[in-house]
Amino acid sequence: MEGSESVAGRLLGYAAMVLLLLIFIGPILWFVLLAIRPAETYFAMPPVLSFTPNWESIRYTFFNPGNNAPQLMNSLIVAVGAVALNLPFSFPAAYALSRYKIRGRKHIMLWYLGLLMAPPVAFLIPYSILASLAGVKGTYFSMILISQTLTIPFSVWLMRSFIDEVPIEIEEAARIDGAGTTTILLKFILPMVMPGLIVTSMFAFVFSWNNAAFPLVLANRSTTTLPVGTLQYFGTAGVTWGFIASAAVAAMIPPMLIFLVLDRYVVRGLTFGSVKG
Amino acid sequence: MTAISIAAPPRARRRLPDYTPWLLISPSILLLVALIAFPLLFALKNSFYFWNLQMGPSPMGFIGFDNYKMALSNGMFLDSLKTTLMMTVVGTAVEFTLGLAIALLLLRKLSGIKLTRVLLIMPTTIAPIVVGFLFRYMYDPNGGLIPWLLTSSGIPLPAAGLLGSPSTALWAVLFADIWQWTPFFAIVLYAALLAVPGEIVEAAKIDGISPWKQLLHIKLPLIRKTAMIVVMLRFMQIFNTFDLVVVLTKGGPGTSSRTLGYSLYQAGMVDFNIGLSSAMTWMMVIIVNAIIGLFVFFAFKDWD
Repeated sequence: MEGSESVAGRLLGYAAMVLLLLIFIGPILWFVLLAIRPAETYFAMPPVLSFTPNWESIRYTFFNPGNNAPQLMNSLIVAVGAVALNLPFSFPAAYALSRYKIRGRKHIMLWYLGLLMAPPVAFLIPYSILASLAGVKGTYFSMILISQTLTIPFSVWLMRSFIDEVPIEIEEAARIDGAGTTTILLKFILPMVMPGLIVTSMFAFVFSWNNAAFPLVLANRSTTTLPVGTLQYFGTAGVTWGFIASAAVAAMIPPMLIFLVLDRYVVRGLTFGSVKG
Repeated sequence: MTAISIAAPPRARRRLPDYTPWLLISPSILLLVALIAFPLLFALKNSFYFWNLQMGPSPMGFIGFDNYKMALSNGMFLDSLKTTLMMTVVGTAVEFTLGLAIALLLLRKLSGIKLTRVLLIMPTTIAPIVVGFLFRYMYDPNGGLIPWLLTSSGIPLPAAGLLGSPSTALWAVLFADIWQWTPFFAIVLYAALLAVPGEIVEAAKIDGISPWKQLLHIKLPLIRKTAMIVVMLRFMQIFNTFDLVVVLTKGGPGTSSRTLGYSLYQAGMVDFNIGLSSAMTWMMVIIVNAIIGLFVFFAFKDWD
């Protein structure tokens, strides 16, 4: 069947492929170039494609004075913290929702899904004021805690799909041998579902890393994360595009690398485990 | 060994399995309910008070439903609701259609198609706020790439720029969202179509059903469940849009690109009117729940 396809049809296919890459990857590369352009070519039209790289923006944002370097660290702390805190909550819940045919299971799953579709902006003001009242505003803890509204529902969904694939016979045998639920969970399920747990954690990391809404209201100057920290350049006189691009490109890299590494699981991660991919 | 456990099933263990799943699920539910109920109840209380954060650190007097009336009377809420619904419906439809077209291309056996698929998802991995920075740069009326490309191909542009003109601002914001999320639909629909059993497609071909009808009447119904989940997710995400607007237009010019999410943001984070923003929060939460309810009712009736 493939052989019957006309040469023109194939050429059209390749043309469409090139066009797709230009449209969807081109702008990203254009932004990467902005980070290393000499300032006089930022807005030069027609676009200047060949120039001597200028490392000033990267030097300024990450090394000297390097305002964005601590923000990179903050993003890492918050995202890793959010993933670490979410596991003891989501793993047992995912196990229970995979193995037990409890009443209302569908509605519990849909409730978690509903949380992922809640408007973050509706919670910003209350979180901001409540965090001040509780004296935790500006702390990593407040951001890690609030991130759980995203990471727990996401991880429960994705992890459940991985636990579904672990054959039930093993734990049935263990149960007959007298193993309790805790033992089964930690000694039997955990090792078998470890790859799925790592995949889930990496996607949850991206989820938390890319969230700008919560740090926008919960962070202070010294704890702010990289995507939000980039906003600072919009306030100052003129927009310092090289700095913005340098900081923003650094914020793009970890999620992109994770998606490249997890290629086989991307569809599964994006659909919270509902499409195996 | 089996004989032993069958011979002596402890009574307590027979009751335990009834509670075990709930013991495992409840910590996550309790934490989430606490993280959601506190702010919502706090907002509910504040929605009945006059409270501007610039004037004082605590609520300044009970005013009943005045905040709700204010949000509804000056058109602020309903106008932005209309803008948001328009953007959401158009955005979801365009992303789905383009995504489906790209998914069909990805299914073809062309060399380099796998690499294309892997790279294609990159826009979706970027933080929406960063997508905002990227497009603000590319839309710049004085030397941005997009105005340059459009004018070079003879398309006239508004003098104030794509983000600065009331007739184009909202669509320029939506275009950034479409750029970011069309690959999401493409990749997910590709995977779903790939899983359609080959025999069904072969049978349809033998029956002489045209490729277009195969897609519409055989393949799409088969991937309905996947399609509904992603459509629902995207619909709600576009409906909740605020960060792209914060970076790109701040709702302007005028109110032309003011989404519901941005109105809330503006009332609370820019004007510091906590009472008003709390009333809008509740109205938005009710609308969001109603939309999710409709989706669940129509799309997930036969689910699981």
